[in-house]
Amino acid sequence: MLKQIIKPVLIFIPLALIQLVIIPLISINDIAPNLVFVLIALMTLRNGQAYGTLLGFLLGFLLDIISGGIIGAYMFSFTLSAFIVGYFYNENKIELNTESFFFLLIIFIAGSVNAFIYASVSSDNSDLNFLLMLIEEGFLPGLYTAVFGLPMVIFTPKKGIT
Amino acid sequence: MIKFLRRIASDYKEYILLIVLSIISLTLLSKSEKPAAKQLQTFALGNFALISEITSSFTSVFRRDASLEELREENAALMLNVNRMRNAVLENEQLREMIAFKDTSRYPLIPAKVVSKLVTKIQGNFIINRGSNEGILKGMPVLSQKGLIGLIMDVTENYSIVRTLHNSNLNIAVTLQRTHVDGILNFDGRNLIVKDIPTTYDVQIGDRIETSDFSSLFPPAIPVGIVEKKETNVLGLLHNITIIPFADISSANNLFIMKIVPSKQMNDLEMNLLKQN
Repeated sequence: MLKQIIKPVLIFIPLALIQLVIIPLISINDIAPNLVFVLIALMTLRNGQAYGTLLGFLLGFLLDIISGGIIGAYMFSFTLSAFIVGYFYNENKIELNTESFFFLLIIFIAGSVNAFIYASVSSDNSDLNFLLMLIEEGFLPGLYTAVFGLPMVIFTPKKGIT
Repeated sequence: MIKFLRRIASDYKEYILLIVLSIISLTLLSKSEKPAAKQLQTFALGNFALISEITSSFTSVFRRDASLEELREENAALMLNVNRMRNAVLENEQLREMIAFKDTSRYPLIPAKVVSKLVTKIQGNFIINRGSNEGILKGMPVLSQKGLIGLIMDVTENYSIVRTLHNSNLNIAVTLQRTHVDGILNFDGRNLIVKDIPTTYDVQIGDRIETSDFSSLFPPAIPVGIVEKKETNVLGLLHNITIIPFADISSANNLFIMKIVPSKQMNDLEMNLLKQN
């Protein structure tokens, strides 16, 4: 179990670096993908809902303290969205879930929820337009995040997945 | 009874875990401005920002140029001077004396580089490579060579967190340079908006916006942006003014910290207000 936690934490460090240094360069109109979430989704689909929820909580906390954002915002959004990803976990279909285009769909759905929750809890500005926020802070970052799940689908050798 | 509870815990462990972790997250969220949380963040940020800075220097290897930085610094100082002169011209034209007009160009500018960015639509934060070792304090304004970028919100020894204009939790007192109409600037997730300006006030598209005399966080006359459009509310009594910032906040990389020493009491008061937001 400890190994299962340490491994993603070690992967998290370079991923967080890329997230905070490189990703801003490729953000489109302040809409940016979330690479850490791709990692969380992947690990959740491989190890289950409870594990993913815990991992989301832990990596969310780490990202909160190193990004200069509000402590608790990523923790909460990653925890909830990892829980949602957990619904797609099936130990008999791990490869199908993580190496097919279904993986992108899962990232898109849960990534949108993650981005929207993060935006909602990190701002208390009541003047924000809900629908606009849902699109710009939910769907679009979710879509952009799903693009970064593509390498998993394209470069992972397929074992008879149809 | 114990068996029953065990069965419940076993059957619903994911839900119990979710509820417990969510409660912890939300509790931390509500206490994120507490000194202990800030201390933890400062410690983690100070260490991680060092790695970020090294990585960042690789990404900016093609645009590193010392003379360029000097020119940028000079440009920023000139920008403030130009703005001050615009004010002087307007004063002469109106034959009016402004009492307690402050010279913003006398404040030293400390160049800084953006080490990392937290890019979201409503939570614009930068981490820059200047900290308390260079005399940076919470509440100091941050600008680029074109105009205002934001405000120092937290400081470690070598790094600082900047809350940018693209952060919905930052409210700034601004004034229209031409007509001295005052208002509060806020980011609504999409645009910078000055709300509830009476329609009887003279506001034109293209008017320049600068920081107001009323703000004790920012010195007056730092250029902020220009009026892009004005929208009248349903009753036709008030305008909402949309502002385009002079500074390109999303792509800002080289910044300047205006080393003002604000009144501590006043600064603490305003910073507390910002934290409550």
